[in-house]
Amino acid sequence: MKAPPAGAEEQASANPRVYKPEMARGWWLAKRHYFLYMVREFTALPLALWLLWFLVEIQRASNGPKGYYPHSSPGFVVFSVIVLGFALYHSYTFLSLAGVIIHIKGVPARLIVLSQFALWLVASAVIAAVLIGFAR
Amino acid sequence: MNHEATHQQKPAFAHLVWWFLFAQGGVIAAILIPVHVLVQGILGPLGIVHVVDRHYDTWIQVLGNPIVKLYLLVLIALPFFHFAHRLRYLLVDFGVPAAKSLPAQVAFYGGAVVVTVVAIWVLLTTAPISFS
Repeated sequence: MKAPPAGAEEQASANPRVYKPEMARGWWLAKRHYFLYMVREFTALPLALWLLWFLVEIQRASNGPKGYYPHSSPGFVVFSVIVLGFALYHSYTFLSLAGVIIHIKGVPARLIVLSQFALWLVASAVIAAVLIGFAR
Repeated sequence: MNHEATHQQKPAFAHLVWWFLFAQGGVIAAILIPVHVLVQGILGPLGIVHVVDRHYDTWIQVLGNPIVKLYLLVLIALPFFHFAHRLRYLLVDFGVPAAKSLPAQVAFYGGAVVVTVVAIWVLLTTAPISFS
């Protein structure tokens, strides 16, 4: 440990010391764990953009049968593939947290997490069935 | 005498509401969004499966259903209360302390409210409500 420079104590008593947490600009690149945390927080942005773009498609239905066209461009598919990656990461991290958030006496946390993943699977199957089943 | 017992604590209702919306938005986003992105964003446009939003007549019929309207509102609006919180703190983590300020809070959570209002408007004006 480094010894404090001479006169440091004197200075400290003269000015009120305010704690300023300093974080280097690229702190989140320093450790894999930090990086994954930031990725998890960042998932919100692509998901938000996809939902807004979906809302645009819904709105287009008001243009009538001639004016309606769904998102079909290769760019949209590429965008969706990227968004799907972030969406799955959000789902995985968020549903894994269920064991920490939900506490039921006598039920192990692993079982609660498992039930969340099961719910995700069932909901996805039902929604896919509706989206495909009502098509022609 | 216990000081805390005599001092009436103010319940943090605003905190409760935003925290509840954050948690629910996270659950909705986690459980519902991936399948929509996969089916409507990838499989449908690529023509791998027939999807309801590819044709006007099937899409408008589904959009007229009030249960679908309610579902789409939950799917689109609720996650934004989750996103608003996460993106605000993402800015804080990137070293933008201004994201903690009141104007920033108004901008982010207000943005989620705006998305909610726009979604309601779109869902109510795009297809007339029908029970068929």
